[in-house]
Amino acid sequence: MPEPKRKETNEEEFFGFAKSYLSEAFPNPQRIDCPPDSDLIRLAEHPSEVDPFVSQHLTCCSPCFNRYMELLADLKRRSAG
Amino acid sequence: MKRYSSETSTKTLEASGLFVGTPVVPTMAAEGRSLFRLNAVDRRGRKIEPAVLEAAEGIYSRAFEHGLRLLGDPAVVTTALEEVAAIVSRAVRTKDPRGDPVEVRDLRAYLFRAFLRHVNHLKRKEVLVVGLSETARKSEPPWADASRELSNKILLDEVLAQCDFIAQDMAWRRMQGFSWEEVGKVHGLSAHAAEARFSHALQQARERLKI
Repeated sequence: MPEPKRKETNEEEFFGFAKSYLSEAFPNPQRIDCPPDSDLIRLAEHPSEVDPFVSQHLTCCSPCFNRYMELLADLKRRSAG
Repeated sequence: MKRYSSETSTKTLEASGLFVGTPVVPTMAAEGRSLFRLNAVDRRGRKIEPAVLEAAEGIYSRAFEHGLRLLGDPAVVTTALEEVAAIVSRAVRTKDPRGDPVEVRDLRAYLFRAFLRHVNHLKRKEVLVVGLSETARKSEPPWADASRELSNKILLDEVLAQCDFIAQDMAWRRMQGFSWEEVGKVHGLSAHAAEARFSHALQQARERLKI
């Protein structure tokens, strides 16, 4: 089935680009409006219980985005193990 | 007047000799830091609400650096921020005619995302013009990769700005290599439903942008 394969490749490229872009495009050295680490941990484990602002903040803050990616990676490792 | 740290922006401007002629008024304070104020109206004379102006000045340093990387002209970047602030002011007035206080943190985030989209729009027009002129001369233009990256960036900003909280969370997890099955489980959905939900958001953004 060529069509699904093409779609999968495009999606993979899109998410790959997104991760790379968001990880460095918004340095935010003054950490303006950054939520506490506990909010990021809750977002990773129970997303529906967290203020949507926290997720929205990740779209424009590379330090928080990178921290959140770490938390998700931990979560994935724990789930696998 | 509020004071904001903008050493990096100032250095960039001073190095490039572009500090003069922007709508921003830089004044060296006694402690060696700059003071920035945006105009209370945009270039079309549209008023910027005080709360929005304050939020715009709060994000100025970050917005300026990001905008400068893409657009390269401090005056264009600052004008873009003022235009976005004026548009957001109108939206705030429409949604909140009684003038109840707006959550400043949310306003700054909203304004920043609106600014990113506006900068993307300006950059896209710029690339289109360059693209058309280059196409006339070359069959495989050197800007092709840059243009593709820009399309991805614009698409990403549009998706993240428009999609709901759940679709946004799905994106974060997919970026970290979660399967659709794992993503769906978090939100009480099947793998197929989760994928369909995000694909719909992506497709809508593509259609809006015609990418």
